[in-house]
Amino acid sequence: MWFFVLFESMIFTAYFGVYLYHRGQHETAFLAAQSHLDLGLGVLDTIALLASSWAVARSVQAARSGRYDAARRDALLTAGFGGVFAVLKVVEWVHQVHAGNTFTSQEFFQFYFFLTAIHFIHLLIGFVVIGVLVRQLSGVERRNQETVETCATYWHTVDFLWVLIFALVYVVR
Amino acid sequence: MFSTLNKRLLVVWVVLSAITVAYLWIDHSADDNGAARASTAVTLSAILLALVKVRIIMREFMEVRDAPRRLCWLTDLWVALMAVGLIGMYLVGKAAA
Repeated sequence: MWFFVLFESMIFTAYFGVYLYHRGQHETAFLAAQSHLDLGLGVLDTIALLASSWAVARSVQAARSGRYDAARRDALLTAGFGGVFAVLKVVEWVHQVHAGNTFTSQEFFQFYFFLTAIHFIHLLIGFVVIGVLVRQLSGVERRNQETVETCATYWHTVDFLWVLIFALVYVVR
Repeated sequence: MFSTLNKRLLVVWVVLSAITVAYLWIDHSADDNGAARASTAVTLSAILLALVKVRIIMREFMEVRDAPRRLCWLTDLWVALMAVGLIGMYLVGKAAA
């Protein structure tokens, strides 16, 4: 699983590098387009996803100590916070498209939609992974700590990739 | 033991959220009478703070602090390489502008 984590972070770092290179070249245009984003919404997104990471970390601890009902509750809480993030993201996309900021409108929004969409796909896969985690925790014969930890590691990867996207797309000047 | 670990996880989440909220202050500090302006200092701070958050997530939530030493070193090296790569690409792009 750690090979996957490092591989994914390498791929995303390459995307981020290309974005930052273009941003450095066209700072004024990127800054003007970026002003259409709501930083407060980005902060809320990030806190929701960090909360989901916190919940799945609790789930791992609970499963390790044999408290499977608590572990299952925390896994469902993880999906709940992830759902909040997903809804906020869709609301933001709809708002941007209505404001005329689309994939083809400006270079900044090409990067914005590409990075947030590719992250969103990882998030959707994450929901499937959390589903596997809940199923694992629900059946006595299926419980396996290694699988629980692997599912959590995937979710944390989705979280830290967003932490980077948030800083680079919403905050960088 | 279990309760102590859960408290630690909560503290970690609070710290990560506080760093996230601090971005609002960084953002306002870069404004020029309400108008956004480019700032290399803000860009570098944003990248470094994000990487600090990534390291905290790896160490605490992903339990790297309890992992074999080799994984600790590898993840730290990875974060450092990401820092060099991201800051380097931004500065090269600026220089080529």
